[in-house]
Amino acid sequence: MLELKPMLSALWRNKISAMLIALQLALTLAIVSNASIIVQDRIEKMARPTGMPVEDLIAVTFQPIAQDYDMHGAVLADLDLLRSIPGVVDATHTNQIPVSGSGSASVFHNQPNQEIGGEVSNYYETGPHFIQTLGMNLVAGRNFTPADMQVVQPNEDSRTRVAIITRQMADALYPDGNALGKSFYNSNGTDPVEIVGIVERHLGAWVSWSKAGNVIFFPRLVETNFKRYMVRAEPGRRDEVLKAVEKQLAERDPQRVMHIETLAERLERSYMSDNVMVKVLSAVVTLLTFIVALGIVGLTVFWINQRRKQIGVRRALGATRLNISRYFLVENTLIAITGVALGMAGAQIANHFMVSSYSQPALSLPVLLVCALILVSVSLAAALVPALRAANISPATATRSV
Amino acid sequence: MLKMHNIRKSYRTDTIETHALRDFSLEVNEGEFVSVTGPSGSGKTTFLNIAGMLETPTGGEYLLDGDNVSHLNDRQRSRLRNEKIGFIFQGFNLIPDLNLFDNIDVPLRYRGFNSKERRRRIEKVLEQVGLSARAKHLPSQLSGGQQQRVAIARALAGEPRFLLADEPTGNLDSLMARQVMELLEFINEWGTTIVMVTHDPDLARRAHRNIQIVDGQVSDLQRAVAAAEAATA
Repeated sequence: MLELKPMLSALWRNKISAMLIALQLALTLAIVSNASIIVQDRIEKMARPTGMPVEDLIAVTFQPIAQDYDMHGAVLADLDLLRSIPGVVDATHTNQIPVSGSGSASVFHNQPNQEIGGEVSNYYETGPHFIQTLGMNLVAGRNFTPADMQVVQPNEDSRTRVAIITRQMADALYPDGNALGKSFYNSNGTDPVEIVGIVERHLGAWVSWSKAGNVIFFPRLVETNFKRYMVRAEPGRRDEVLKAVEKQLAERDPQRVMHIETLAERLERSYMSDNVMVKVLSAVVTLLTFIVALGIVGLTVFWINQRRKQIGVRRALGATRLNISRYFLVENTLIAITGVALGMAGAQIANHFMVSSYSQPALSLPVLLVCALILVSVSLAAALVPALRAANISPATATRSV
Repeated sequence: MLKMHNIRKSYRTDTIETHALRDFSLEVNEGEFVSVTGPSGSGKTTFLNIAGMLETPTGGEYLLDGDNVSHLNDRQRSRLRNEKIGFIFQGFNLIPDLNLFDNIDVPLRYRGFNSKERRRRIEKVLEQVGLSARAKHLPSQLSGGQQQRVAIARALAGEPRFLLADEPTGNLDSLMARQVMELLEFINEWGTTIVMVTHDPDLARRAHRNIQIVDGQVSDLQRAVAAAEAATA
């Protein structure tokens, strides 16, 4: 039989220690629930599909030493060489390395001569091999053809008239869903760029950007003084291909500075701060939960030692071992529920502040409830061993003078 | 009512074995008021603990109401304690965080009575001990005598047939002690069997029978008197 009324009245008479534990639980819940949604948000962010076979991709960046360097000729020769290496699926030139944190972006409009509004997008200057190299899924339209390609000098006006865009960008430009065949414009631009193809997804250069996934591909080669290639290896042959790429490019033209790395390494670096955040917050959540569990163990043990005589008296008056254990577990649950109720309110207030001040994700009720349930369970588990030990206090304690 | 035959109780540490009761035999009849006396360390409290099933004997046989209770499990002993035995402790042993009403309620809750029945019994025993007006008071707000009366009320609320009192007047002044003793005598007149451990020879003499325990056994003198009385009869 539960003794809620006398238990509450006894708790009320020892309210300071009970309230301290309840407040500790409340604070823990407020921190743990908000930390959990940040961790969840970061984990979801890192788990997003990139739209590429990241493990098979190699990024090459080079800069020629010579001043008068035939960049166009070098690119054509390099790409032919790269595509001939055994284990290479395809290779392409690019102005930026995906998910590297470095790239180009501009504002685009679905109407000419627009100054305000529009949609910001990351953009690539690349070629017809880009879709095959990055393993993207063309869901509508066509790939670039050699006839689409434009070779331009830096600062030279673009004459590119076609583009492939991601579905996300297509939906942003044309929310009615019929972007294929339609055009978009640069800010204040009057020259239309026709959307000739739509790829399912591509994350772009910046993984932490709120508009990551807004990506446009132009069939263009700008003759800058450095160039980048993406090389796709057959599954499982990346490391072997990387060595061959490094060797053969160096042999073809030793007069240039070259940097080769896997895309997986770049992606890991891009997510480093998220990874650190997940680890630190997970450690904080675990530590806080452990501390609150220790507090509950300590308080329960203290109360049991303080009430040894009382437990003996209860046993002498007919309480079974189960009655005694249950008494302490129910008492602990009452404190935990009080703490969790306070904590849920505290968590919402803290989250409101974090959302408005730091653009953190909003705390959902299911996450809050799961955190609350976990804390109540931890609290019960922490009280279980002391409560079971309390049940072993002999009823003969009632007649002992010490 | 209570029959102990060759009860032994020993406590063992790593190096020492102490025999608290040795071949202890005693019979208490229904409705008797028996006092138990003896020097400190003689085994009085151990006897009381075994009689009240707070401890199990190391050996021997203990019959309560004709049933052998020596081998009952903890749950069965708890139930039997709750239903048949009332305890009055030397230090009152009231729960300090609970008011008088809730203190008396403790054994009744373990008994499983509904709230209406519990209330009826609590109000009845509080009236019997003259503390109805103080039901909501905490033990700390009462005098020692009043606290012991609450402890008696708690022991009586379950309407036990057997009352065990451990130095019930030990912490009281002589006036309070007399009042408590009169209350116990009154309870015994209703038919409740009482076994009272005491140091006070005057109180012991007021019982129907006095048992003296020495070195864990009923004293030889007691046995001789008992044998002589039996022969005369």
